Amino acid sequence: MIEFEGVSKIYEHNGNELRAVDQVDLSVNKGEIFGVIGYSGAGKSTLVRLVNLLEYPSEGRLLVDGEDLTQLSKPELRKVRKRIGMIFQHFNLLESKTVRHNVAFPLAISGVPKKDIDARVEEILEFVGLSDKARQYPDQLSGGQKQRVGIARALATSPDILLCDEATSALDPETTKSILKLLRRVRDEYNITILMITHEMNVVREVCDRIAVMEHGRVIEQGSIFDLFSQPEHPTTKNFVRTVMENEIPASILEGIENRGASRHIYRVTFVNESAGQPVLSGVSKSFEVEVNVLFGQITELQGIPFGHLVVELQGEDKEIVRAIDSIQRSVTVQEVKAHAG
Amino acid sequence: MQVNLMDFWPRILEATNQTLLMVGISLLAATLIGLPLGIALVVTKDGGLLENKPIFNALSSVVNFFRSIPFIILLVAILPITRFIVGSSIGTAAAVVPLVIFSAPYIARLVESSLLEVKSGVIEAAEAMGATPWQIIARVYIPEALSSIVLNLTIATIGLVGASAMAGFVGGGGLGDLAISYGYQRFETDIMIATVLLLVVIVQITQTIGNVVSKKIRRQ
Repeated sequence: MIEFEGVSKIYEHNGNELRAVDQVDLSVNKGEIFGVIGYSGAGKSTLVRLVNLLEYPSEGRLLVDGEDLTQLSKPELRKVRKRIGMIFQHFNLLESKTVRHNVAFPLAISGVPKKDIDARVEEILEFVGLSDKARQYPDQLSGGQKQRVGIARALATSPDILLCDEATSALDPETTKSILKLLRRVRDEYNITILMITHEMNVVREVCDRIAVMEHGRVIEQGSIFDLFSQPEHPTTKNFVRTVMENEIPASILEGIENRGASRHIYRVTFVNESAGQPVLSGVSKSFEVEVNVLFGQITELQGIPFGHLVVELQGEDKEIVRAIDSIQRSVTVQEVKAHAG
Repeated sequence: MQVNLMDFWPRILEATNQTLLMVGISLLAATLIGLPLGIALVVTKDGGLLENKPIFNALSSVVNFFRSIPFIILLVAILPITRFIVGSSIGTAAAVVPLVIFSAPYIARLVESSLLEVKSGVIEAAEAMGATPWQIIARVYIPEALSSIVLNLTIATIGLVGASAMAGFVGGGGLGDLAISYGYQRFETDIMIATVLLLVVIVQITQTIGNVVSKKIRRQ
């Protein structure tokens, strides 16, 4: 649906070249929620603005639904923009217009008959749960309600794509959750492809199918949410994962392991999907002559599915431990933890 | 101090009429010129909707040129132009021409500053929705800035009331002229006090109307 092929955006500033977006290759599939995460200044905002040509790419090719937008005339571009909705961190609503007129705006500028506008506005306000606020002005609404108006406005023209520019960054955690839930419904019920940028890992964890991590204008890592959470490779990705889930074994526990000698059997057990709900470890201690001692661990939720890992120590005969590990490996991922490696 | 009551009120009334007429017509004409000029300044600016450096620089220079001439000098300097436009270089109508030339560039700057208050994000959102530059001007810039434009036009109106006091130089009449020629030069202090009070009342009423209308627009 959206394809970046070696896309760069270069700004000239006093003779210096600033590569805000640098050689990005990305491909967002239809009906997918794709997240781009990065610290501020990583180039995410520029990246998302390239999609609807609010920013013009300096290099590379960008295809939206197979079409290179840079080849279009201005009227053609405006037509395509009506199929790409966009929501913003600060909502960007018309303060002088009521909620109803804000949502009607994209339809009114397209020359849709008033009767059809009214029907569509009512329908879409119902969808975002703001039917009772139709006659209010934006400054009478809370942040979450304003973003709902933003979403309703973006959806009014029935777009194929929704771009989210830090859409939840100005909202509190509870409101963020409800907005993310709404975005997921947007995808599920209208099959709209969503590209969102954020600096909050808990946002992508909640809704994204796949994510890309950006730093200094480059995409440094990308993959499914489970891949990035279970095996983050780049230090920046690891930092982001750590903001929602402690992945490293704390120093105090490591110290304990070191001190008590190298003859201990310590493993990291990673749970994905339904395995997190199974009594894998207690089953092992019943079936084999081993004791399971949980040293450290964390279970979290990715897209509503439990995900996590435990660091456990198995105590018993070597032979039994090997058999036990064999058995656990059938349902979860197991890695031995070396005392010095952590 | 002699008070000629027979003479007093008719003269005040006539002068008030002249002031209101001069200010009203000048305001209307200056707004018709200044509003599009202010919009043009904003959209041709660096990073504007219809960015155009040569046009912006030209407009901005013209505006600055006229804004740097003191009104009293402008009034006499453009006498030939005034004569050409209204057919005479004296009288109330003749005073309107310099008043318009004086306040149109001022209004352009005021409108410009009102429009610049519209958040760039709102403009960006409209662009992302596929709005044309004209749609953005008519449906985003102007409605979003209207309340502030009204307040700024109120300031311009009060400036015009002040400037119109100098219209006596070209026989424009008005309250200011009355105060100078009778109140000051002929020592009729009661006329002086009455005209100044009237000017105060006019300014108060103008500002109040401006505030009310501006507030009303914000919540139409």
